[in-house]
Amino acid sequence: MFSRYELGHFFDEMYRREDGGAFEHYKLLENRFGELDAQALEAKQLLVNEGFLEEGITFTVYGDEKGTERIFPFDLIPRIIPHAEWQQIEEGLTQRIIALNLFLNDVYHEGRIIRDGIVPEDVVRGAAHYRPEMQGVKVSKDNYIQICGTDLIRDDSGRYLVLEDNARCPSGVSYVLENREAMKRAFPQLYSNYRVRPVDNYPDILLDTLQHLSQRAGHAPVCVLLTPGVYNSAYFEHTFLARKMGIEIVEGRDLIVLDSYVYMRTTQGLVQVDVIYRRIDDDFLDPLTFRKDSLLGVSGLMDAYLKGNVALANAVGTGLADDKVIYAYVPEMIRYYLDQEPVLESVPTYLAWRDTDRAYILDHLEELVVKSANESGGYGMLMGPTSTKSERAAFAENIRAEPRNFIAQPVVSLSRHPTICENTSIEGRHIDLRPFILYGEKIEIIPGGLTRVALNKGSLIVNSSQGGGSKDTWVLHS
Amino acid sequence: MRLQVYHRTEYFYLEDAAKSSNELRLTPKITASQDVQRSIISVLPATRLEHYDDLNCNRVHYFTIPEQHNRLLIESRSIVETSKPNDLDSLPYGYTHSELKTGPIPEECYPYLQNSTYVENTPEIWREAVDIKGESEDVFQTGYAIMDYIYSNYQYASGTTTAATHAGDVIRERTGVCQDFAHAMTAFCRALGIPARYVSGYFYDSTRNRSLRGSEASHAWVEIYGGKAGWIGLDPTNRKVVDDTYIVLAFGRDYRDVAPVIGTYYGGGGSSRLSIRVQVDRL
Repeated sequence: MFSRYELGHFFDEMYRREDGGAFEHYKLLENRFGELDAQALEAKQLLVNEGFLEEGITFTVYGDEKGTERIFPFDLIPRIIPHAEWQQIEEGLTQRIIALNLFLNDVYHEGRIIRDGIVPEDVVRGAAHYRPEMQGVKVSKDNYIQICGTDLIRDDSGRYLVLEDNARCPSGVSYVLENREAMKRAFPQLYSNYRVRPVDNYPDILLDTLQHLSQRAGHAPVCVLLTPGVYNSAYFEHTFLARKMGIEIVEGRDLIVLDSYVYMRTTQGLVQVDVIYRRIDDDFLDPLTFRKDSLLGVSGLMDAYLKGNVALANAVGTGLADDKVIYAYVPEMIRYYLDQEPVLESVPTYLAWRDTDRAYILDHLEELVVKSANESGGYGMLMGPTSTKSERAAFAENIRAEPRNFIAQPVVSLSRHPTICENTSIEGRHIDLRPFILYGEKIEIIPGGLTRVALNKGSLIVNSSQGGGSKDTWVLHS
Repeated sequence: MRLQVYHRTEYFYLEDAAKSSNELRLTPKITASQDVQRSIISVLPATRLEHYDDLNCNRVHYFTIPEQHNRLLIESRSIVETSKPNDLDSLPYGYTHSELKTGPIPEECYPYLQNSTYVENTPEIWREAVDIKGESEDVFQTGYAIMDYIYSNYQYASGTTTAATHAGDVIRERTGVCQDFAHAMTAFCRALGIPARYVSGYFYDSTRNRSLRGSEASHAWVEIYGGKAGWIGLDPTNRKVVDDTYIVLAFGRDYRDVAPVIGTYYGGGGSSRLSIRVQVDRL
């Protein structure tokens, strides 16, 4: 199957550039797929896809007339990460989430890192997701980010780099669990021949993480998952996680705030809620505090929250940590709070609000990736090398108008991974990795995470809303 | 053995404290039998953390909090890969007291033969040490006998001593916690001319019923100089030769040199409540 595979000028996850041979940890996989012909492969793919459709594992694409409900394309060739490589990732992510939490604690209280001149004040206070309401508020367990999805990429030498942190409501973990189930069904023998670290305890750890936040002593914590509803792109995931954890899934209208406590309406009357795993952005949480037109939230929720009568995961105001301008300062945060060098490097970042950086960005638009500071999901982005003249002109104008809102990075040629493409040919496609970090009493990182693959030839955009698919990710025991 | 440690120290002050400055010795040492994969220290209120290495090559982190605060939280997370320092089938016998007395010993040993803040030599301590040694001509055998003596005759009881209790008091009262037992043992060893240093760290309690003493906080034991065998760890609190279940944070002449958390502050209403938690898991 791999005989006509072309390496290209990228780091390939499976094949060495020097001699074209497969890396040791991919040899079993190479043999197994070598036994399959196109027909057999197609049959397996069909089986897996049907499974996904039956279980309703779908997502929603906004702004597309062809219909909104899709299956997330799944590629049968798993990505394999050896033990030592994973250990380094784990160290880097642990260090990073601790530093980000300390940063949020700091800027929402004394702000020492600002006073010591490490992070400029206007970058913090001017961030779209900075919440002045949270200034001086003690959050439960002093912990802001319980659930973080940090996107990693590998450059052309195979080095792992942090691309961005998702510290608000990262999604995708349901695919990690479902992809694993699919792979176990499709390749049971191969799966057990590799010693793969399991991922299926994620919902248990997530529940522990949520319960840990409860501030009601002497009472079993009541946790709920707050969803924006069936039209949200990640609604499948919301139901999936709530079911796996055995907690209620609620919408705003199912909750009510009385005397600064939050209750859930049930058939047996009102039940006090201690922890809300909210899959809904700050802006929509409470129409009294944030967007007045929000029908998704709960009136009075912020009041209950600020009084410490209910905990939210993640805390309000964590969007500050995944602001793309703040991203540029994370290595400095790690040095400042932890007195350590970052284990994982970041992508060099130009900040448009710095005059010199802005001049450079505007001069080099064609070579750079320009990102809006607060968008996610691959929206609001300019891929310099593939952009048209008019797109660049439009971005240049936006950058001049709102410099704080844009950053630019050199194009990192993401690593590629053999992927099944049209006519069951196997070609290299670009991938990234989103590990999920849970920070409760302990910090736990689910081994692997979501490997997203840009299915369109040559594309570097892996987001599900932009033609991306996913792969199962196998982290090996030592 | 791959061990993961979570060590949490939290102070609550009755009234606001300010101008707090602190030193932390919470980073596991890199030694021949110990490799550190992770060591992350975090402090709340969040502040800048810095470090230096002290005279005993212990990594010291320090920070100050000038503003008012009513609580201080210090968390340390480590992952350490340990191996057995001594092959336990052949305990490090064979280094004799006369060799120790006549042969040259490394310079690093000298500080660990002198009196220090909490460990002093007195005629009474020397007399008792000589009795414990008895006929032994072997340094390790003597060290083991002292450890056994303390373990068998002293009462393990918290609240009977303080952080500032001297070795002499412990030897007289025969009661205390791991810190006191380690001080007492250090004093006996030094009285007999055996270089002995005080070690702070953690251990993983692998007994089925968690019967070892001192696992709920950071632990302390003693290392004696054993000639070619190098420094040999002995834990008088549990009568154990130190093996791969132990993690070394720091060593020094006595507790004063290695206190995991030490600091000063102004205010605070005259008293503080301290809560400490240590959890060691095997990975």
